[in-house]
Amino acid sequence: MAGSLVDILIFAPLAPIFGVLLLWFIQLLFIESQKFLLAKIRPEHEPLCRFTNFLGILFQTICHALGYTVTRSGISKFYVSVDYGKVSPKKEREGVFEWISNSFLFLGPFFIPAFLLLICLYLFTSGGFEVATPPELTALQYTFTEQIVTFGRSLHIFTQHFFGFLATIDLLHPGHLGFLLLLLFLGLGIRPSYIGEKRQEKIDMLYDLKNIWSHIIHRPLYVILLFLLAYVLFYISLALNQQWYVGLFAIFGWLSIIAIVSLVVTHLLLLMIKTTDKIQGHKKLLPYITLPLAYILMRTLFLFIPTEWDKSISLITMIGCTIIVLFLLVRKKKKKKTNTFKAKIDMKALPSIEDETDEPGGSIR
Amino acid sequence: MNQEDLLDNEKVERVLSPHPLSFMRLQSLCIFLIVWGVLIGWLVNFSEFKDLFSSNEWLPILVWGSVLIVVGIFASLITIRWRIFLLFLGMFLAGVGVMVWQDWTSEAAIFVPFFSIAMSVIGFLLVELYRRSHKYIISNLRIIFKGGIITKQERTLRYDKIADINAKQGILGQIFSFGTIIPISQSGFGLGSDKSFAGGGVGLGGKKGGGILGFFGGGKDVQTPRARSYYELHGAYPYKEIKKLVEKLVQGGVITQYQQEQVSFQKEQVDIQKQMRDLLKKQRDTKDEGSGEDIEEEEEL
Repeated sequence: MAGSLVDILIFAPLAPIFGVLLLWFIQLLFIESQKFLLAKIRPEHEPLCRFTNFLGILFQTICHALGYTVTRSGISKFYVSVDYGKVSPKKEREGVFEWISNSFLFLGPFFIPAFLLLICLYLFTSGGFEVATPPELTALQYTFTEQIVTFGRSLHIFTQHFFGFLATIDLLHPGHLGFLLLLLFLGLGIRPSYIGEKRQEKIDMLYDLKNIWSHIIHRPLYVILLFLLAYVLFYISLALNQQWYVGLFAIFGWLSIIAIVSLVVTHLLLLMIKTTDKIQGHKKLLPYITLPLAYILMRTLFLFIPTEWDKSISLITMIGCTIIVLFLLVRKKKKKKTNTFKAKIDMKALPSIEDETDEPGGSIR
Repeated sequence: MNQEDLLDNEKVERVLSPHPLSFMRLQSLCIFLIVWGVLIGWLVNFSEFKDLFSSNEWLPILVWGSVLIVVGIFASLITIRWRIFLLFLGMFLAGVGVMVWQDWTSEAAIFVPFFSIAMSVIGFLLVELYRRSHKYIISNLRIIFKGGIITKQERTLRYDKIADINAKQGILGQIFSFGTIIPISQSGFGLGSDKSFAGGGVGLGGKKGGGILGFFGGGKDVQTPRARSYYELHGAYPYKEIKKLVEKLVQGGVITQYQQEQVSFQKEQVDIQKQMRDLLKKQRDTKDEGSGEDIEEEEEL
């Protein structure tokens, strides 16, 4: 067995944990960026922000309820609104059960919506995707570096399948369209914090992290037990020469990747909304019309000129056309602004403004 | 509202119409028709099952109709309104009728999706027409509810006759800031009831001999605020503002307990003042009579 004993027994089990933590942190950054964007567009798109709040709170309460169900505490009250959610257990349980249900509350919103998408993805990708560890990786050893490589390789294979599906997604297929909508909705809702009417300093990424940290240090014994459990699983995998341990953490990595992708797609949508806000009048609807129209036209065209890449080309054309239309409309607007000499007050209104530099009572003619 | 329709000293505070999304229950039926139309079109023409559907020209019609009827039954059971089922059934029969009449059964794969979408567009237009027929006028003296596409209906409710206010806001209402306000009058107008009934039967006895049949059951009903959209402030927008306005006007039009005490006290005061006035009048009269007699005596002298 290559590698030092200390490396294998102590450091190697930490490798996939670090990998998951890194991805989760990237996810947190995207969430924070999305919240920033939502806060920016809030004045003009109040209902959209309320909707995203509702989704976020819904996921959070579902996760909390799931926590109570798993710990067999039961649910006596379940309430969700646009700005508030509450789940009460039937039996108040303490100790490890309370800790587990709180873990669901704090960590669930990051992973459970993504888990739903993972199930959908498994159903939509023909024959599912590679879950087992590829044969070339089974030859790898159980050192820290090689565990990281195995974890990364597993993510790479998954990402290849996932992006392959996204690049060839058929928006005229009801199931695929539903998947895209779900991806958008979940992307809007993957965040534990609430975006209030007024900016609250307390509710941000640091606040979420503080909550999770206080939850961890509240019962350090449970965290130590979890680590011990992870080590035991690693030693079992090691003894049986199976990559089960990495496989388990790789699933969390996949969930993070799905969450990040859904957040990226949501970002694109929010950026489009933010950009169209700069366009005056009904012209702001043009990019939203271009989006489906370009896709449908391309797909219709490919009915007469069949090609293997019809879906991907249609997607690229759709995105490209929308960007061009957006660019043209925003540029046109900017040009118009320059012609007005950047004067804040309308030129026709000037004669009525008194000129303080002239004699008292004088005015600009 | 015309000026001549207003009462003396009446001032219109707000004129409202329901929010465009407040009839989502009806609109969701139209959305279902669009989704199902698109889905059946895709299934029959583009999916991997298209060969199955092309084998029999009646198969797309049957699948389309079965789903319509099943959804109609479910929706009717949930909302306890059979008209949804009848509407879907009618739509299915109309579709089949047109296909048979025009001999388009072989073109069902194209006709059925277009027919579904066309019906849903008509549905949307009808819902919009129905929504626009509502008009609520909040004045400083009363609330006037007007509505009706063909038969015009009107309800007038004075604030002092409002016993209770029920307000509700669904998720869509919370997102788009609209909600429904039901003013319940002292006569109970604005209240409905939810009835539930459970029953069971049991038959005893052999095949040859006579059996005994027993039936048992029970029911309960719960009073709940409910009114037709013409008689409530349905989909009032902006919800919080309207609710506050109505509550303020109701508060202004109703005498509270404290005010009732004040009124009875003032009544007592008025009674005392009246008694005093009568007493003074009496005294003045007797004085006048006395002074009159003195004058007469002086004149005689």
